[in-house]
Amino acid sequence: MVYGVSTLYSVFLWRKGFRQHEWTSYLLLLAAFLFHTVAMLERGFLLHTCPLHNLYEATAFVGWTIVAAYLVFGLWPRLRFWSAFASPVLFAMGVFALMPGLDAPHGHQPDFTGGLPSLHASLILLAYGAFGLASVSAVMYLTQEHDLKFHKLRAITALLPPIQRLELITNRLVFAGFVLLTVGLALGGRIPRPEGVVYIKDPKVLWSAALWLLYLALLVTRWRFAWLGRRFACGTIGAFAFVLLTFWGFNLLSPIHSR
Amino acid sequence: MSIVVIGLSHRSAPVELRERFAFAEDRIPGALAGLRAAGLAEEAVILSTCNRVELYVATSQDAPQAFSGLSQFLVDCHAYRGPLNDELYTFAEPRSVEHLFRVACGLDSMLLGETEILGQLKKAYDLALKSGHTGGRLNKAFQRAFNVAKQIRTETNIQRGSVSVASAAVELAQRIFSALDGRHVLVIGAGDTSEKTARALLSRGARGLVVTNRSFERAQALAAELGGRAVPFEDWGQQCEPIDIVISSTAAPHCILDRARLAPLMKLRRNRPLLLIDIAVPRDIDPDVNFLENVYLYNIDDLQTIADDSLRQRQEEIARCEAIIAEKTRALLGPPAPPPSRLRPALRSVAAEPFPT
Repeated sequence: MVYGVSTLYSVFLWRKGFRQHEWTSYLLLLAAFLFHTVAMLERGFLLHTCPLHNLYEATAFVGWTIVAAYLVFGLWPRLRFWSAFASPVLFAMGVFALMPGLDAPHGHQPDFTGGLPSLHASLILLAYGAFGLASVSAVMYLTQEHDLKFHKLRAITALLPPIQRLELITNRLVFAGFVLLTVGLALGGRIPRPEGVVYIKDPKVLWSAALWLLYLALLVTRWRFAWLGRRFACGTIGAFAFVLLTFWGFNLLSPIHSR
Repeated sequence: MSIVVIGLSHRSAPVELRERFAFAEDRIPGALAGLRAAGLAEEAVILSTCNRVELYVATSQDAPQAFSGLSQFLVDCHAYRGPLNDELYTFAEPRSVEHLFRVACGLDSMLLGETEILGQLKKAYDLALKSGHTGGRLNKAFQRAFNVAKQIRTETNIQRGSVSVASAAVELAQRIFSALDGRHVLVIGAGDTSEKTARALLSRGARGLVVTNRSFERAQALAAELGGRAVPFEDWGQQCEPIDIVISSTAAPHCILDRARLAPLMKLRRNRPLLLIDIAVPRDIDPDVNFLENVYLYNIDDLQTIADDSLRQRQEEIARCEAIIAEKTRALLGPPAPPPSRLRPALRSVAAEPFPT
């Protein structure tokens, strides 16, 4: 609900043109973060495990990482308006997580035990959080870039960061996400295989490999072919849209990930 | 003891008169001492800038008497023998304090909302304070003026935006580049506006200035003045690789930079953002270059529009600033004395009677 209020407040900020520094949006997301954290802790204590075992929990965790990162970055005045771009995504993720069937009951005997699966899941979800934040930053970049290109007065009056800095932040977040994804996937490969399971044939594993290649291509084209600015921002948003739209589907298709 | 102000500014007097009445900084302590020695002031501050000369005085004399003495002091001090009509303005309390606050906030400046005047006012006050010519009244009034200026800066948009072409260009550059430190600037055509724009960028940290002009001597002169280097006009294209900002203002009748010429340069620059400021008429840069990725082209009209919009926004803020100033003046001086008509009838009749002797 607080994410919903924050989204409504974002509309107000957009209409006002981000002209004055303010804390309301930050405080709204701080409140949402506190509720979110308490809910996740309660769930974790109730289930006696890290709450990362179904789509509902995974989506909630990705949202939580995005807010947590925002609360750090938002301390810088010019990055505080990130909330106006992040809130709609967080609200949409929250609504998605509440869809029926995503919060599947936990099995009494999980197939994977020990810390490795939890670490594998956490790192990968943290990577998605970084990709989500990068795409928020990329939307911010595209907004500011569009205003500058078409000589909108808002380009001057809005208290948003310079586009070069936004591009740099986007790049660093994508890189951080890529490193987390790489380590998370590598750890996943070391998890002992249940009998009869072939990782390479699992749809989610194949999807993850495709996602890894997608982000690798994004970073390489930026570095090698100087695909800076708009192209990189569009690529970042497209890649995260791909995650959002296909993650749940491949999760359901995967026998080892949908349990 | 009340505070009075007498002076002349860009609103009331032409520059010829303002420069005639200006005080050189080293003359101010002497003039302040003279004011006090003549019994015209108990406390005094002299503000002398290119746009205004004002005396802020705390005096026990009544206002008309004080104004007469102070205007004579100004005339005598500068040995002025010409006519003076409406050029000198005077303010008694509470308008004198309001005026001080308006000056501190830049509301009375030629460039509405500018901040330079606050620094000049602080300096003038500091000079009087160090020379021992201020006391309780003026200290309190000036400290309050500085606080009001700070409050207005943070609570209103009176100082937001760029109201000149040069500052609009700087602001645009700040919206594109993470920092202006170390940015390389190319000036094509050594005109007056391009010089001002380059100066504004350099003052914010831009480095590596390259100047080119059809007259190489003029380019060399401007480069020497701004601490850059001059290149022959035929060679400027070869200098583009490290350049981040181009300011163009040649008198060429056709475009000197178009998409076909810029596209390969952008590849060479690895698509780093490039800000092009075209202040020439007719334009030097083909508008089509704005369609190239990471290229941002602004012409003189675009910059003027930004400056005009900022000025309009500042003007819209005046009412908010005036309200704050009125409130702070009341807080400093207390509520205004009620006019005679509001006095109770009995008191009014007593006041009307001749004082018994």
